[in-house]
Amino acid sequence: MQRNSNITSLIYWITQKQWLIIVAVISLILYLLPTPEGLTQSGYRIIIVALIAVTLIVTETLPLPGTAFVIIILEVFFGIGDANSVSKSFMNDAVFFIMGSLMLAVAIVRQGWDERIALGIIRVTGNKTHWVTFGFASVSAIISSFIGEHTVVAIMLPIALTLIRFTSRAGKNVKNLSANILFSIAYGSLIGSIGTPSGGGRNVILLNYWREFGMPDISYIQWMVHTYPLILIQIPILSWLLNKIFPPECKILDSGIRRLKRQVAVSEPLSVKKIGALGIFFMIFLGWVFLSDSVGLGIIALSGVVLYLITGMVTWDDLNKHVNWGVVILFGATISLGYQINHTGAAQWIVNNLISLGENVLLSFPILTDALVIIMTSIFANVLSSSATVAVLGPIALNLPGDTIHLGLITAIASAFGYLTAVAAPACTIIYTTGLVRSKDFLKVGLKMGIFSILLLIIYANIYWPLLR
Amino acid sequence: MMKILIAIGSKEYSKTTLQVGMWIAKVFNASVTIAYVGEKISSFGTGNIALTQENMEKWGLDIPGVTVLEWAFNYLADHKYFTPETVAAGFSKNTLVHGGKNRLELFLKGTFCENVKLILRRGNIVPELREEVAQGDYDITVIGGSKKRRMAHDLIQYIDSSICVVNHFIPFQKYRLLQTVDDSIGTAKALQYGRKIAKAFQTPVDLLTVSKKESFGPGYMNAHKNAIKAFKEVGIKAESHLKVGDPVEVILETATEKHLILMGMSHQNPIKKLFKGSKPVHVLNNCQCPIIIVK
Repeated sequence: MQRNSNITSLIYWITQKQWLIIVAVISLILYLLPTPEGLTQSGYRIIIVALIAVTLIVTETLPLPGTAFVIIILEVFFGIGDANSVSKSFMNDAVFFIMGSLMLAVAIVRQGWDERIALGIIRVTGNKTHWVTFGFASVSAIISSFIGEHTVVAIMLPIALTLIRFTSRAGKNVKNLSANILFSIAYGSLIGSIGTPSGGGRNVILLNYWREFGMPDISYIQWMVHTYPLILIQIPILSWLLNKIFPPECKILDSGIRRLKRQVAVSEPLSVKKIGALGIFFMIFLGWVFLSDSVGLGIIALSGVVLYLITGMVTWDDLNKHVNWGVVILFGATISLGYQINHTGAAQWIVNNLISLGENVLLSFPILTDALVIIMTSIFANVLSSSATVAVLGPIALNLPGDTIHLGLITAIASAFGYLTAVAAPACTIIYTTGLVRSKDFLKVGLKMGIFSILLLIIYANIYWPLLR
Repeated sequence: MMKILIAIGSKEYSKTTLQVGMWIAKVFNASVTIAYVGEKISSFGTGNIALTQENMEKWGLDIPGVTVLEWAFNYLADHKYFTPETVAAGFSKNTLVHGGKNRLELFLKGTFCENVKLILRRGNIVPELREEVAQGDYDITVIGGSKKRRMAHDLIQYIDSSICVVNHFIPFQKYRLLQTVDDSIGTAKALQYGRKIAKAFQTPVDLLTVSKKESFGPGYMNAHKNAIKAFKEVGIKAESHLKVGDPVEVILETATEKHLILMGMSHQNPIKKLFKGSKPVHVLNNCQCPIIIVK
């Protein structure tokens, strides 16, 4: 019996770690095969590490820091870099930004601005359902363009759920209304997250790649000029699409809105502390706009965190409890992986093969390069995290023929097209955990939104951006 | 004292699981834990979700899963499984305490047993139940039926307790017990469970022994006779069925929707079970009635 029980435990372990075993075997075989022509040995080995990393991130076979450590360890053991060069590529301003952004999310959510935001939305939109959902999408998009989608969803979701609860208590069926409002928040946040460099970790990763690889880059404001019109085009289309797919059961949210107003009315009044917290955030924003070129976005984000800590608006225990350090460590490792993909020449080799595979068609029709990058990035973004997608695919995209700013921006923007699955982005995961939307709802609306966004980006990037040159 | 773990899903589909689980708990005078396992979330979102849920609590909104536990509380209160004091105190979600990673728990005072525990977990169902059973040392895990065929193997093989799967349960139906008997070590323990259940509910019993050969060996015959005797001792007259054929096919042919199947766990090699399955796995996958597999 004991022997059988040990075998059962072993079988259970194998079933839980099957992807780790499969990728280990495939990697070992690849490692033993000769290096492909035109590729350095380090380049070949970093591609193997990338394969392992992507598999482990997608399947979550190991905890996130475990996957990060595998990447770092293999980079050293495979002779891709020594311990010092790997650790240097592991920590940079992009990692500081991701760390700072996760901490700022906690600090901002703690300030209780949600009641004010709720009131603001209602005042502007009134009680007509389609205006309310449009309001949720717009506010989510605008706020997330500055502070990251995860913060926005943490603030907006309780407002939305309270409104849904009040409407449902009024005896109304709210299945479609729930899906409509929740997707407005999640997709609105995703759409908005491309608006400024501080909208998401992936944007900062890309800015760092431009600088580290010695490529021309753009300022905070220039980024906004390039991307903001796209957000303004996408918001009404998102609202229209959601109203088509999930037509709300009621045209007017009279009682729900009234009760929400009443709840907000009894909440804490706007205190000096809340105004101070807003002031600190405004300073951070100004720092990002005017100082990020010289000191980096990450340092400014961390400065904001320090200000919140000094003023006692957030405690270290609170930050420590809510920051997912595993995510920070993993992004450090994926950025290190991206640097090595570029540094070893693996990115250039992949690009050369892509070009020759397409019989130079990519060189003749640059729009096809755009399509390739956008589609590949969108696919990756739906199974991998958006930041990891940019960290791994960014160096390859930046080596493609064409303007590196154009290629970098389309990679960053397409990485926000994680509409298809609940795991694609924290915003989607959070609305999924409410139980009010199902996996197939993501497919239902995400597929249309994804196809539309891909086409729109190709057209937008090739018509609008050349006008800015 | 025996310990029973009842795994519930949504309110819509878990009523019968809760009903059957509590009946079994009453028969065995067992302590009860009711666990809701929410869907697994990506590790990338855990910090953000915790932050969002804390903000939701500030707005007086329940975190996902709590409403299911509240529904379970109300069900148990309505059916007098709680002491009047516990019912009067009501379901207090604020008393849910963290009991490890992705796990919240709430202790309540039960009527027939010392404690009733409500647990909220998040993750894949089999690993979460396996961890809960290992942590709480449960004797029986009660769970609703699943359409996933692989689930039967995983539940039976990886969860270290007896398994009761509430398949196609019909409320208010007068059930018969279909106890399978052979000369394996699993039969003895299964028989103990069968006796208790039959005695508690005065359930008619069908004793089924299946031989692959035309003749029944002494091992099978003795086990069958002992089983009849065991039921007689508790005042239950068991109907004897000695049949020839493939055991899985015969069990499935004999079992009607009015039966509760009770069988011992297979003790063949786990690797063989992984690839070829076992009798309990095949029966569980194909039967149209509730089933208990005793370990």
